[in-house]
Amino acid sequence: MSREIAERLRGRLIWVMTALTAVAVAAIIVIPTLLRQPARPAVVGLVGARAQALAPALRAAATAATAATAATAATAATAAKTDVRTVRIASAASARARVKSGALDAALSVGQDAAVALASQSVSPTLTAVLQSVVDQAHLRQVLAAAGVPPGTAARALAPVPFSVTALQRGPIANPARATAALAAGLLLYLSLGIYGAAVANGVAQEKTSRTAELLLATVRPGQLLAGKVAGVGLCGLGQLGVAVAAGLVANAAVQRAQIPATVWVLLPALLLWFALGYAMYSFVFAAAGAMVARQEDVQLLTLPVAIPIIVGFLLVYITIATPNAWWIAVLSFLPPLAPILMPARIALGPVPACQLVANVAIMIVSIYGLGRLAARIYAGAIVRGGARLTWLGALRLRGSV
Amino acid sequence: MRNGVGKTTTMRAVMGILRPVRGEIRWRGHPAGLADRLRFGYMPEERGLYPQMRVADQVTYFGRLHGLDRAGARDAAHEWIGRLGLAGREPDRLVALSHGNQQRVQLAVALVHHPELLVLDEPFAGLDPAAVDALSGILRGEAGSRTAILFSSHQLELVERLCDRVVILEEGHMLAAGTLGELRARLPRRLRVKAGGPPGWAGTLPGAAVAREDADGVLLVLRPGADTQAILRAAQAAGPVEHFGFECGGLADVYRELVPA
Repeated sequence: MSREIAERLRGRLIWVMTALTAVAVAAIIVIPTLLRQPARPAVVGLVGARAQALAPALRAAATAATAATAATAATAATAAKTDVRTVRIASAASARARVKSGALDAALSVGQDAAVALASQSVSPTLTAVLQSVVDQAHLRQVLAAAGVPPGTAARALAPVPFSVTALQRGPIANPARATAALAAGLLLYLSLGIYGAAVANGVAQEKTSRTAELLLATVRPGQLLAGKVAGVGLCGLGQLGVAVAAGLVANAAVQRAQIPATVWVLLPALLLWFALGYAMYSFVFAAAGAMVARQEDVQLLTLPVAIPIIVGFLLVYITIATPNAWWIAVLSFLPPLAPILMPARIALGPVPACQLVANVAIMIVSIYGLGRLAARIYAGAIVRGGARLTWLGALRLRGSV
Repeated sequence: MRNGVGKTTTMRAVMGILRPVRGEIRWRGHPAGLADRLRFGYMPEERGLYPQMRVADQVTYFGRLHGLDRAGARDAAHEWIGRLGLAGREPDRLVALSHGNQQRVQLAVALVHHPELLVLDEPFAGLDPAAVDALSGILRGEAGSRTAILFSSHQLELVERLCDRVVILEEGHMLAAGTLGELRARLPRRLRVKAGGPPGWAGTLPGAAVAREDADGVLLVLRPGADTQAILRAAQAAGPVEHFGFECGGLADVYRELVPA
């Protein structure tokens, strides 16, 4: 047992690089957060007396628009804000100049029969709708007044009908926070499985090509050597993942970018759990690949087929975000090579039935056991065999050493 | 021994890295198990150490792998690093050392736990005479302190100097084994004759074949029952005889005799 601990010492030599990478990952999360500018209100210039009269109505309409979309947004912070700031502009020429310079998002001028909003390239659909409705309302008010309708009746007629959007199902498009979480989870798992899997493969290959494995196997059994390497790199990986996630959360809280939905507290343990399961499974296969090399350069060639399911899994996360409840996504998420990436993504997008979670974990554990034994056999046979690079079939047929 | 005859494979089997298809490895009368192997030290032909690890750490690590506790391993590592002339290089990473020094670290790793059996695969390969002497000294010292040493080499003069027992392998088979005396006894008798006569005088002697002819005369290989007195008379007939005596064969001669060219 002390030998396994001593073998884990190997992981510590990479500790420095790991720490640096962790800092880099944290920085990647923090810096864009710091640099992101808060959404600024749209600035609308009002040219001419008729337009300027609409200022209060414009601001009221904007607030109403915000309220309507808030009903389907995950958080108030992510709701489409349509804050409007109005500015009185003296002349059309000055309006043109300010729109061109970007000081104004749009300049509204209301004529007898038409209203025009001047913009440098385009006006956002929401702002356009707000401007249109305000201009329409003003026009209606005028017409009603001219027709002799008492102001009180006119006001009642023109009061906006209470309007809200009720969603049947919280879809991902209306839940950008969940989609982001799913994507982040998928990306983290894709990167960490790839990086730590490669680290295991490279470490094993180095021990083989430098004949260190030969010296080590004089004192430990191949299974112990394999387990030690996997555990050593794995602990480093788990630690780095934890640090990156913690850094992300801290950074988020400090900058208050997005309110964390409650599901995050389910997502985080899920992330760590499926990383552990996925890593355990993949690392054995990566280690076997590493043992089959003839030279260090062979590692890339041999690990490519192992990495393909990881890549496929990550690509599937995009599809999962679009259609999280598709039945075939659920089925695919039970395939052991794809489960570690798809399951956390599914969990991020919405609650997954407990029986599915339990079944998934059980399948993963069985796969880890089976693949582990197979990989150990390949490892034991291949690690001391000099000569040409092995193929997967050839490796499976090897007889083991002690 | 030629390359590829199986000496490395045998050593790996001894160390438990390979499992023999037939036969078994026995140590002190019983089949060797993991506990026994922990008392063995191994130096494979190609250096098998972690290149980025520091010297002291590396030797300590292997000491611990062989069952020493942390403090014991550290002390033993320190001791052996000093004995092998590497004092002061402890904090250096392995890649920073010269080849010769790297091999000394390899030796330290093999010796750190005071093994009962030392297995060395071609330890003298590529060493200059001074290094050969140094290593021979160390090995003799260890052998003196009741450590058994098993090593392989192509340099037969060295083997003759150092070894008590020799095993000759050819194509996976054991051709001969025994002490040097026993092996030499298998050689046919050899006679060296230096006579003043014209070269070629010994070409037609009955019962003898010319093995070599050089500045020291003629080396004759005698067939069983050869008449040495007749050869002496023939030599005298050819010219004044300066030297006439039996010559012991060396290990190289044993090898040439046993292994068809």
